[in-house]
Amino acid sequence: MTMSERIKPVLLPLAALLVFEAWMRLAGAQSDSLAPPSAIVLALAGALADGSLLAATRDTLASAFAGLALGGIIGLVLGIALGLSNIFNRLMEVTIEAIRPIPSVALLPIALIALGFGYRMEIAIVAFACIWPVLIVTRAAVGSIEPRLIEVARVLRLTQLDRIRKIVIPAALPRIFLAYRLAAGIALIVAVTVEIAINPLGLGAGIMTAQQALRPDLMLAYLVWIGVTGFALNALLMAAQRSLFGRAAVIGEQA
Amino acid sequence: MAEPALALVQSSPSPARAQIAFDNVALVLGGKAIIDTISLDVTPGEILCVVGASGCGKTTALRLAAGLYQPTRGTVRFEGEAMRAPRREIAVVFQDYGKALLPWRTAAGNVSLALETIGMPAAQREARIAELLAKVGLAGHATKYPTEMSGGMQQRLQIARCLAQDPKVLLMDEPFGALDAMTRQGLQDEMLALVASTGATVVFVTHDLEEAIYLGDRVVGLLPHPGRVGLTMPIDLPRPRDQLATREHPEFLRLRRELFDFIRASE
Amino acid sequence: MRWSAIAWRLASFGVAAGLIVLWQLAADQRLISPVFLPGPDRAWASLLRGFTTGDLLTKLMGTLTHMAYGWLVASIVGIALGAMIGSSRAMRIYVAPTLELLRPLPVSAIIPVAIAFLGLSQGMALFVIAFGSLWPLLLGTIHGFAAVEPRLYEVARVLHMSRLAVIFKIALPSAAPDILAGMRLSLTVALILAVVCEMLAGLNGLGQWVLLSARAFRSADLFAGVMLLGVIGYVTALAMGAAEHRLLRWQAVRR
Repeated sequence: MTMSERIKPVLLPLAALLVFEAWMRLAGAQSDSLAPPSAIVLALAGALADGSLLAATRDTLASAFAGLALGGIIGLVLGIALGLSNIFNRLMEVTIEAIRPIPSVALLPIALIALGFGYRMEIAIVAFACIWPVLIVTRAAVGSIEPRLIEVARVLRLTQLDRIRKIVIPAALPRIFLAYRLAAGIALIVAVTVEIAINPLGLGAGIMTAQQALRPDLMLAYLVWIGVTGFALNALLMAAQRSLFGRAAVIGEQA
Repeated sequence: MAEPALALVQSSPSPARAQIAFDNVALVLGGKAIIDTISLDVTPGEILCVVGASGCGKTTALRLAAGLYQPTRGTVRFEGEAMRAPRREIAVVFQDYGKALLPWRTAAGNVSLALETIGMPAAQREARIAELLAKVGLAGHATKYPTEMSGGMQQRLQIARCLAQDPKVLLMDEPFGALDAMTRQGLQDEMLALVASTGATVVFVTHDLEEAIYLGDRVVGLLPHPGRVGLTMPIDLPRPRDQLATREHPEFLRLRRELFDFIRASE
Repeated sequence: MRWSAIAWRLASFGVAAGLIVLWQLAADQRLISPVFLPGPDRAWASLLRGFTTGDLLTKLMGTLTHMAYGWLVASIVGIALGAMIGSSRAMRIYVAPTLELLRPLPVSAIIPVAIAFLGLSQGMALFVIAFGSLWPLLLGTIHGFAAVEPRLYEVARVLHMSRLAVIFKIALPSAAPDILAGMRLSLTVALILAVVCEMLAGLNGLGQWVLLSARAFRSADLFAGVMLLGVIGYVTALAMGAAEHRLLRWQAVRR
């Protein structure tokens, strides 16, 4: 890439930030809802320094990953079962079609009265949201395994469990990993959403508290940090996918 | 319907005006001299075939004639005027027919696109579409989508769309290259019949030397790296051409030999 | 429809009905406290009651209205903006990297910022829903317009098509699959954000209904509301599917 090609993508956001900064400074007046980028950076540094931001990040990520693990296992098991057994798949069609469209946040009040505020309720909702992408993709991946491999398993007389462990899962692994990568993004989004809506923990609670305390600099700092977390998580998982499965697995998915 | 462009009845002994003229044309793309230099006149009503080893720039020359590229040096003229942009009188038949057709429109819809662009009112379009589809042998396939049609049918559809422009010139870029031999021969004869009935001028780029001799009134051979004219060969074979008789004609074989030697020497 | 397909569908309904019977048994046996898990009979009764004597209908319309307005605004802006950015290589170079950076950001994080500006109001909800639904549609539209077959642009040049004709007859139909895929996603986002905003701001809608039902431990009303939200999700997905099927008929046909 030439020099100008490297610079161009940065120009627009850079210009926007400079204009924003200048406007806030020149307008002079104190604002309850906006803060100049310099103040945001300061608030960010402060929150990092006193550990509050990192603690909140830890809480959110913990809930997200726990929910991802729980929902992921359920989705994986169901996906494998549905992918392997056409009969089971067709019988469960209506049930899945009925439950799947329920937005995870709609279950928030149910989780609330059943589990109260805190980690468990958030994990439950994240888990529900994560089941579906994992289930759908796993089902498709297992369903499209090269029939030749299944024949090999039968010829070798593998038990059902062995067959799953040694042939089904490894063959479907790249796509299953993709499913988990997508689900991880969903997990983070749902976790933050639950926290913003009602749960007093994590990054979502942090940003809401900052807004209610009329600290726009801190609020926007949380916003930036949430964005960074989301980006970093996605980048990490993409790198992992690339190193585990090579570039071929990354190409060909929807941009 | 296009008037046969041969109707240039002049009392004075001046030569028939070139329909497309390459006037010392050169083209540099991405730092490389693709063409340097070509001077060429395309006579109205003729079928001019362009051949050459790979890298000779024959497709590039065609795109210059279409107005899709602008020459770095020299001028490309259409009926005397310098070409700055593509013109409706010049239709282009692309080799990758699949990419040049609209997959979301039926065969009729694809032909209609050209008619809509030239402003034909809707009431007249249906009849003209039927006429054009019949002309290329696709009558009865009007409601099919391109993906439902074979390669040969898709190429015919593209030709029908080009004819809908009422073009004076047909530029064809290896149009039958992606088709099997039998389909190719059938389309060659169909094309000759079409051109005879519409009187359009044709510039036909191909890597198939026998196809060039079979179809053309003249064959131009380009030399590669960079592209320039190496050979101009008038084809003195009787018309109408016939797949068996013409290809066994001694003059055909002589021309074929000459062309083969030229290509081999230029590689 | 083939007979075997109908038979499987009926069997699938049967399985779903069987699960509902199990649910009823569990509720009757009080395996889980009726405070948390009402039987399907009570949930259904609440549903009927809500529509006949209660104001469940207005709540339903409230959510649908919020979704509709927000999604409509997002669609118009998203497609127009996406068309502009997607069809211009220059704009893509300047803008696309920034958009890619913003993609993994949990869109609910914009809620506190919106509250800071617009308070806990209807306007805040509309803004959040519109903003959130915008992203999938914008990104999908950009991708669709950027991926138009270049050969078709050359055909347009040779035919001397006007700029407007190129947009409506070539670029838009070519981008339609990506745009519709983006629309599907943005409908889902619109529903989720509508529910969250209603919960937070106490606006007239199902989000508010389910939250208040939970707080009052009226589990039957709560489940009725959740089922309705699932129905909204299902119907919108169905409608999108039908639209896609009709508009993208040409993709289905194969030799």
